[in-house]
Amino acid sequence: MEDILSNVNEVAVQKFGAEYSETRAQKLHKTMLTLKEGRVEAAKQGIENGIALRVLVEGAWGFASVGSVDNEVVMNAVSNACNMAKNASSRVKAPIKLAETRILKDNVQIKPKKRPSTILMEDKINTALSINKAVLGYDKRLKVCTVDYLDLTGTSYFANSEGTQIKQDKLYVWSRITATASSKGVFTFSREEIGSTEGYDVFDSAPEVIGEKVASRAIKQLVAKSPKGGKSQVVLGPNVLGVFVHEAFGHLAEADLALSGGVLQNRLGKKIGSDLVTFYDDGTIKGAFGSFKYDDEGVPTRKTLLIKDGVVKGLMHNRETAQKFNVEPTGNARAQNFRVEPIIRMRNTFMAPRDHSLEELMEDIHSGYYLKSFRGGQANLDGTFQVGIQEAYEIRNGEIGAPVRDVSISGSTLETLFKVDAVGKDFELWPGRCGKGQTAFVCDGGPHIRVKEVIVGGSA
Amino acid sequence: MVVLEKDLMLGLAENVIKKALKKGVNEAEAYVYESQATSVGVERGQISKTNTIIDRGLGVRVVINKAIGFAYTNIIEGEKAIENTVLGASSAAKASKPDQDWNGLPEKKAYVTAEKIYDRKILELRSEGLVDIASSMLDSAASVNKHVFPIEGGVGAAYLSSALANSNGVEGFDRGTIIECSLATVAKERNTVTPVCFEFNAGRECNVDPVWVGKEAARLAVSSLRTKRIKTETTKLILTQFALQGLLQYTLINAIKADNVQRRQSPFQGKINEKVASENVTIYDDGLLLSGLRTWTFDGEGTPHQKTTLVEKGILRNFLYDNYAAKKDGKESTGNASRAGYLSTPSIEATNFHIAPGNKTPDQLINEVDNGLIIYYLQGAHSSNPVSGEFSVVATPAWKISKGDIKHATRGVMLAGNIFEVLKNVTTTANNQRQMGQLVAPWILVENVRVIGK
Repeated sequence: MEDILSNVNEVAVQKFGAEYSETRAQKLHKTMLTLKEGRVEAAKQGIENGIALRVLVEGAWGFASVGSVDNEVVMNAVSNACNMAKNASSRVKAPIKLAETRILKDNVQIKPKKRPSTILMEDKINTALSINKAVLGYDKRLKVCTVDYLDLTGTSYFANSEGTQIKQDKLYVWSRITATASSKGVFTFSREEIGSTEGYDVFDSAPEVIGEKVASRAIKQLVAKSPKGGKSQVVLGPNVLGVFVHEAFGHLAEADLALSGGVLQNRLGKKIGSDLVTFYDDGTIKGAFGSFKYDDEGVPTRKTLLIKDGVVKGLMHNRETAQKFNVEPTGNARAQNFRVEPIIRMRNTFMAPRDHSLEELMEDIHSGYYLKSFRGGQANLDGTFQVGIQEAYEIRNGEIGAPVRDVSISGSTLETLFKVDAVGKDFELWPGRCGKGQTAFVCDGGPHIRVKEVIVGGSA
Repeated sequence: MVVLEKDLMLGLAENVIKKALKKGVNEAEAYVYESQATSVGVERGQISKTNTIIDRGLGVRVVINKAIGFAYTNIIEGEKAIENTVLGASSAAKASKPDQDWNGLPEKKAYVTAEKIYDRKILELRSEGLVDIASSMLDSAASVNKHVFPIEGGVGAAYLSSALANSNGVEGFDRGTIIECSLATVAKERNTVTPVCFEFNAGRECNVDPVWVGKEAARLAVSSLRTKRIKTETTKLILTQFALQGLLQYTLINAIKADNVQRRQSPFQGKINEKVASENVTIYDDGLLLSGLRTWTFDGEGTPHQKTTLVEKGILRNFLYDNYAAKKDGKESTGNASRAGYLSTPSIEATNFHIAPGNKTPDQLINEVDNGLIIYYLQGAHSSNPVSGEFSVVATPAWKISKGDIKHATRGVMLAGNIFEVLKNVTTTANNQRQMGQLVAPWILVENVRVIGK
């Protein structure tokens, strides 16, 4: 495989005059399951092998993907990609250049305790069945439970025309559990996800624990009331804070979006939040869902400081944006698979903890909301964020009160980060999937925090 | 562009069925898929990249004693790859558990050929042609105003084909083309950046209008440079197709899927022939809609596409069925089994989800509003409660309407409510139908929605 890749890069440069060429290959195996109320919808497995190549010709990118390792097919794709890039280059006003990076040769092997490929399909089904049982057995008002399971194992290869050659094992284990409870015409919905790059060991902790978590939330929400819309003081739990960090700040700190006019474009070195705000994006956390050793441009991953004590310290880069900002690439270029080109993505993004206990965060709040678990979130370049919440409670006189249903929060990032007025000492990291045209496996997290004011979207 | 021929794809599917039955499975289904896509991408104001993707694959579903196994591969050359995929499906079925509700794969039915879904000209478009289309889109955006900055977009042309066969004698081949151009822009003035404004044009035939896309994306961005706050109130909204698509995709469209009804996670359970929306709402699922973006001859398990009346003047008439859910209810499949290429087993999805248009022009609709908002882009629609239909989203930008005129843009307005209540409050539908993803709809006017100002 390594020879094919090197050969492609050589042809692109020698024969077609590319300034730069990189080739990725993947050989992956997937196992997938969907259980609905304990019924196995289908046991599924598949193979995805293919090659992606990307060339830079006269300042424009050409990308081609083929689901084949056949030499003739691949050579045809190189010629095609180079010609197309050349066509596009006729209209390029600012030719694309790449930041320098170390030339590397490495072979990254993962040695998991429990390799998913050595676990029998029957055992994976049994694990999913026991999660299902824990959910539906919790309360008779729980009527519906879906368990999805995915594991992905294999090898990815990277080679570029500068001489870098990397072979990396790939391993992801993921599961999503959703449940619906209904009573007297009220429907509630609850979701949890599990995600790891470490191995099937992630299922060692009792399946009942996660099952009960999903179930109890759906039940509690049955008696929840609609929130009152308007401005409010809130405490965000680590799970909601993580998504807030990811959506409200993280996407804006992706250098491609910053260059597109995002609000962080001209704010490097500027204060955009309270002294308590320190954010990182870290690809090096062992076993975390967003960790890996090299990105899909062959750049080593790292721990990147984004904000320190409220001051913007860095952005997340690929080689193209790093060149524009005259900094080192940060190893954030990721491609979902061989069908797509690498783009700037987050890894494990979080807020650093400080010194408050949860009780201290709550005690001064006369009236507000405690937002514990998220359902989804979305950001806009102008800094408007939205985070939808699946588990929330009222705070009354410093105490957690009644549950609240289907709330979401919104605000402007640049205003809201200044309103963070207390940060907890706890820390949790949650696995998730981020969509930016492609799907990336990530983690988000941090401690509990208090925010003086956000807009709460409620119908009451 | 060299594509796989019909005979080759059908031959491969039939070969798989023979091999699987020889291995002793009770039933087998083979799905062969090809997509070839070429695109030119715009990033930060310029054309900077090109993409070409060839993706082919085979998905095999087998049934052994009512237990279902599935395997796929993207390597379809050579007997060994085929053999291994059949073995993979059958070993997965053996590891799985029987499903007592399984009542067999679909039976053979006559097809009505989908029309106007294939245009050779799209297949023949080369990257030079796509670069020209993208350039004219960028030029037209730039011509609107110097504050406009196109952030991303592009032009893409794709060819898709599929062949399907099963052990009940179902056999089909279909092919089609799609072309799309799109542009996302912001407008920048001093320290102000607008929210992202987006337009696109897509079709099955080679006649997109890049000049309109560029102009419209730019016009929306420029008109949201100056914003004013609005107050919190319960008011009227005009929902454009962008907003409708976001709100309905995660709520109404889920509620009307038969499997969700059977699994008791739909508020429409037991509501057939009951009123679920205002009498101004009529909805079809039309898998044969002329030139529809989701129009094909048959669905993901070989059942013919059809036009199904879902909601007739506010009365719920039917659900979306695949073969499995239909047999469970003793009904006929409505041809709504959908696949993510060769990578997945079929699941229920709308084809062209068509909300019938009314008679009013968009201007007449705006003129009817004394006080309200017109909503384009929503943030967070995917965080709606998929079962209850409750939503709490941000509209940014949105435009204030007063006394029948669009007055000014506003940012960060939150909308909260329940989509099923919103459907009961639809007062008028316009005549400006267009397609966006699976949704085909006009603008609609609704009343009594809670709006939370900043």
